[in-house]
Amino acid sequence: MRLKRLNIRYYPPGLILEYEKKGQEKSRCIDLLHLTPNTDVSELLSEIKRIEPLITDSRTDQVKAMIERLQEKLSQPDERHFYLFKVLQSHILPLTNVAFNKSGSSFITGSYDRTCKIWDTMSGEELHTLEGHRNVVYAIAFNNPYGDKIATGSFDKTCKLWSVESGKCFYTFRGHTAEIVCVTFNPQSTLVATGSMDTTAKLWDVESGKEVSTLAGHSAEIISLSFNTVGNRLVTGSFDHTVTLWDVPSGRRIHTLIGHRGEISSVHFNWNCSLIVSASMDKSCKVWDAENGQCLATLIGHDDEVLDVCFNYTGQLIATASADGTSRVYNSETFQCVCKLDGHEGEISKVCFNPQGTRVLTGSADRTARVWCVKSGSCLQVLEGHTDEIFSCAFNYEGDTIITGSKDNTCRIWR
Amino acid sequence: MGLLSILRKLKSAPDQEVRILLLGLDNGGKTTLLKQLASEDISHITPTQGFNIKSVQSQGFKLNVWDIGGQRKIRPYWRNYFENTDVLIYVIDSADRKRFEETGQELAELLDEEKLSGVPVLIFANKQDLLTAAPASEIAEGLNLHTIRDRMWQIQSCSALTGEGVQDGMNWVCKNVTAKKK
Repeated sequence: MRLKRLNIRYYPPGLILEYEKKGQEKSRCIDLLHLTPNTDVSELLSEIKRIEPLITDSRTDQVKAMIERLQEKLSQPDERHFYLFKVLQSHILPLTNVAFNKSGSSFITGSYDRTCKIWDTMSGEELHTLEGHRNVVYAIAFNNPYGDKIATGSFDKTCKLWSVESGKCFYTFRGHTAEIVCVTFNPQSTLVATGSMDTTAKLWDVESGKEVSTLAGHSAEIISLSFNTVGNRLVTGSFDHTVTLWDVPSGRRIHTLIGHRGEISSVHFNWNCSLIVSASMDKSCKVWDAENGQCLATLIGHDDEVLDVCFNYTGQLIATASADGTSRVYNSETFQCVCKLDGHEGEISKVCFNPQGTRVLTGSADRTARVWCVKSGSCLQVLEGHTDEIFSCAFNYEGDTIITGSKDNTCRIWR
Repeated sequence: MGLLSILRKLKSAPDQEVRILLLGLDNGGKTTLLKQLASEDISHITPTQGFNIKSVQSQGFKLNVWDIGGQRKIRPYWRNYFENTDVLIYVIDSADRKRFEETGQELAELLDEEKLSGVPVLIFANKQDLLTAAPASEIAEGLNLHTIRDRMWQIQSCSALTGEGVQDGMNWVCKNVTAKKK
């Protein structure tokens, strides 16, 4: 084994090792999820050298510099104030979801007008309109980190795979018998997973366009799905009140996570693949052990349905969004509520962290999106301007641009 | 009413729930009707760009009413909403005689839609509060409603503004949805 190159990864903090093994190029990463500006660098360095044989004495100075660079990035003050940059008005019906590519250079919007549009973030110009679906384009995804392909899931029961560069459709995945409402790529970008109101999820081969497997077992609509960081596990959340963990290579069910007393609205893995979080209409979230499927904790406090949930990039925090008009941030190790984000005047349908984990962004039926400080729980900004409820919102990788998608047919860029 | 609630309302409704699709030309009064049904303020209503959804309780049913914008450029998208429809309500501006032909054509096309086949249709001859409004009987004749044989249908004169006739129409809906659901 020979180390060829060392790369830095800001969010979540880590080092990527590119190396050669028996003539093959490989890569692996050292996660530094607990790194803070105060971490003792030399202590960390000796720990890394102890567990990672590729980091030899000759690399020590380089690694030290990289860790210090990461610490510097982490300690940067975040005093950004967001201003409305552009209103994108070319969809003629309400938007559904929005998503950035990895670098944030472009983003996509899905709409009731049956199209998905690709936008340039810097200029706000429309790059392509992906036309071909015969009903609402509900679910959209980039194949991040590559960002050269897009998958769209539609109420027309099909999923389409598109080229970002040309805007042409590579494949139409047919087989679901009801609306497709969630779609995602595996981290290697070799598979697309689709979840449908027909109660099944399917895996599709990106290269050949063929169906790889059908994940059957839920007794009601599948609403949310997510791969783990490694890509060997998929988790699905259903209106049947359960969460299912699947083995990706075999398509077999590993665990059914039972405990919620209402429909599931959202499911996610944390970065190191050890935890699964699920949000439910039963007003609670649950954290599950991703290995054995045991429920580790129930996050309570909301007075109404929990409509969305997410981890921050390192997996140490969980943010929730509820129909009660509040969001909450929980510590995923102690399961304690860190702060309650109170201020919206309507239900919150979407929540996400900035990649740094210092801010929470919420989108609400009260027509505003809000930026919150995780440390203090205070509302830093109210992004006003949409004339109807906000269905979706996202931060870019740098955390310096926000997009919001609304029922008012527009998408807004804030930076 | 986030995206998730829309998905929940998209499901084929359980027995006590009815999915109602509210269609018709722009400026026919669909949104006013919807708000009247939900007992909401009707003083500031603007053209619907997308859709509105409201749930109202009536005679033991939960009526999930989908009000879809009627402007010409967005009419091709009406079919986005056809799936799982239990009752179609078609709203006509009874005072806009110039557009009777257009509204008749749109209705005929809807009745030809495979996904709406057999779905009971209630036609609201709206805006009867206006002096120039055509009576329901005249509209029924103009639209050849008596030739509809593949489904239950009814025409009801009403004023979404004053509320007159609206409840009668909804009574018909509940009565006929019972017949279909059982």
